[in-house]
Amino acid sequence: MNTTVRDTAGEPKITPYQSSQPVANDGFLQLLRSEWTKFHTIRGWVIAMVAAAVLVGLPIVALGNTGKDNNSIPNQPIGPNGLAVTDSFYFQHRPIGADATITARVTALTGHTLLPPNKGGFIPPGASQPQPWAKAGVIVKASTRAGSAYAAILVTPDHGVRFQYDFTHDVAGLSGPVSSAAPRWIRLTRAGDLITGYDSVNGRTWSTVGTVRLTGLPATSQAGLLVASPTELYSVQQFANNDGQPFATVASAKFDRVALTGAVPGGTWRDTQVGGASGSVEPLCGADTGRPCNAQAKQRHDVPGSASGSGGTVTLSGAGDIAPYIAIVDPIGLSYKGSLIGLIVVIALAALFITSEYRRGMIRTTFTASPRRGRVLVAKAIVIGSASFVAGLLGAAIAFPIAEHKVAENGWPTSIYPIRAITSGAGLQLVIGTAALLAVGTVITLAIGALLRRSAGTIAIGVLVLIFPLVLATVLPQGPADLLLRLTPAAGFGLQQGNVHYSQVSSACLPYNGCYPLAPWTGFAVMCAWALAGLVVAILVARRRDA
Amino acid sequence: MIPAFFAEPAGILAESVHAEWTKLRTVRSTVWLLATAVVLTVGISALSVGVIKCPATCSADTTKTSLTGVLLGQAIVAVLAVLVMSGEYSTGMIRATITATPRRLVMMSAKAIILTAVVLTVAAVSVLGSLLAGRYLLPHNGFTRAADFVPLSTYYGPTLRAAVGSVLYLALIALFSLGVATAVRDSGVAMTVMLGLIYVIPILGGLVLSKHWQHLIGRYAPTNAGLAVQATKNLTAQAIGPWAGLGVLAVWTAAALLIGSLLLKLRDA
Repeated sequence: MNTTVRDTAGEPKITPYQSSQPVANDGFLQLLRSEWTKFHTIRGWVIAMVAAAVLVGLPIVALGNTGKDNNSIPNQPIGPNGLAVTDSFYFQHRPIGADATITARVTALTGHTLLPPNKGGFIPPGASQPQPWAKAGVIVKASTRAGSAYAAILVTPDHGVRFQYDFTHDVAGLSGPVSSAAPRWIRLTRAGDLITGYDSVNGRTWSTVGTVRLTGLPATSQAGLLVASPTELYSVQQFANNDGQPFATVASAKFDRVALTGAVPGGTWRDTQVGGASGSVEPLCGADTGRPCNAQAKQRHDVPGSASGSGGTVTLSGAGDIAPYIAIVDPIGLSYKGSLIGLIVVIALAALFITSEYRRGMIRTTFTASPRRGRVLVAKAIVIGSASFVAGLLGAAIAFPIAEHKVAENGWPTSIYPIRAITSGAGLQLVIGTAALLAVGTVITLAIGALLRRSAGTIAIGVLVLIFPLVLATVLPQGPADLLLRLTPAAGFGLQQGNVHYSQVSSACLPYNGCYPLAPWTGFAVMCAWALAGLVVAILVARRRDA
Repeated sequence: MIPAFFAEPAGILAESVHAEWTKLRTVRSTVWLLATAVVLTVGISALSVGVIKCPATCSADTTKTSLTGVLLGQAIVAVLAVLVMSGEYSTGMIRATITATPRRLVMMSAKAIILTAVVLTVAAVSVLGSLLAGRYLLPHNGFTRAADFVPLSTYYGPTLRAAVGSVLYLALIALFSLGVATAVRDSGVAMTVMLGLIYVIPILGGLVLSKHWQHLIGRYAPTNAGLAVQATKNLTAQAIGPWAGLGVLAVWTAAALLIGSLLLKLRDA
């Protein structure tokens, strides 16, 4: 009810109308709720979000259903944990009993890449240097059978002293390269099935690098010196011709002060090429030879090792590697790229979520109701990001066990591609990673939409920013392709890698095969940085501009 | 026989074309989109030829590399084409257009004619710019006469085919997008469909590990087949021949235009 009040001058003073309704709470939660209401009350958008979940999951399963080339998987030895390994090195060894110590001093480790005659004059970078993960050292191994259990203390050219065991485990010791001026003393002791690795710079003061219990190590095992030098798969990614070209490398190591003490049953030093000869100087496949490049052709590179001297002072040279087998092709990771179809749907939804407000003039109501525009955009990002995350999580999680089994059914050997549980590290990374990619992708699109205010352009730029780098990376040579996948928001797709990579194993990393240059979560951080930057710019612009 | 709508008062189509030209010309975003298309196409092409080096990648198809920018240019061409039709639906302009030109197929033909003319022009500039970038940049990267490389030239048959084919490819993508936009009307949906076809299908085609599916996608997916026209080397390794590939895209385009025009004729605006 309005009452007329007269002021001191006798003029009527109008009291403005005030609603009797209580003042609404305009906290952030209310804002979130209003944005959520705007999203879920539009039936088409909810249907599209459900479709996005289906379009994340279904293509993953469909791609997991694709077969493999029959010849592409080489016969790899199987390691102690049932997984395929590379186990080929030159081994000078003697049998030892359950309690023994082997010590040696390494005074030199050299090596180079073997240049085949027909590579068109192409010399890979670092060809005159030893392969960074070439290995020379002492090892205790269950037997000379490739794939048997072992523990070794090793000198490497670029990564210092390492204590490695059973293929996948790697512990760092002394750093720095080895030379006659700075030799490295290394020692392994076996006490029952407990193996300890030591290193030293002078042979007097020793420090422990690592200890491991190799259960089931036979009473008599083999101990001795080894040298190995991994094949360098130099990536030659070209237009319509993506290939890792194998370049064999060799390493040569000088040992002296070799001493074997404790339970040594006798016998003499013997030389064995474990796992067959390794390395090759011949071009094995590709245009130069007229032979097709399949993975098998790439695996056969035969360079026999050799030894001069034995016992106290010895020089070993050879090629090969002792490492987990890193598959080049990543069938499960490639299958997860099927989620791109779902991604493009949530990109469109995120674009419409903001641009339709501008198109219908709704944005003026929105900004009137909540004048702090930055908060509106943040609330929108949270709503569309969370909805996409849930859709992606459902699709990717339901697809995971089906895709893993399909891959195995299609003949990808489980020794290289084991069937993993969704709760394993790789499973969680693929499933949560796919959901997170969708969520952050929508935030980036939302920021573009807030800047552009037009749906067609926003969807196009969203796809160009998020997906086009993947297209370009498959047609560019390796260097610039890697750069794209490090710097653009597409770096986040590194989360969708199904193969486990080990930092101690050099392997060819081709975007074409679903391999990314950055560590998975680092790449995702790059993508998140783009989303954050985009959102900040969008908020700044929205605050300055007329709605 | 001339289709009925051409035989009707001869001026209708011409006037409709003129009207569409005015609409396209006077929207500021058109000029921006076209300029962006040229700059980005030539830019991406120049970057791509800038990073291939001989002897590391001597076997690269230099013509195709010089036309890499078309991969990006097609997205902008698709945006333009979608806006030509869907833009009218989002603003309600379409009702005025149909009132003025009640023969809807004439209206759509006029849009197609103007769009084709504009895209052909812009595509020709972009493609020539890209080839020129390749011609001048490649010798700096080791693709010299000494290494048996002749500078890119449209006097060389396969290069001419790739250049003309790329221009036609972009025009077909524009018409394809016009057909899709006419069918679905909403610009967001039309863009999503087109970008899915342009980018996601080729990525998945590259990832399918079955040779059978790779072959099928290479032959029959619209953009995979269409881009086969850019190849000048190693043609036998392609899933489909250059002109045949462009033909596949043309069939897709014709189907999209047919469906779009049928829906346009049958549906309320």
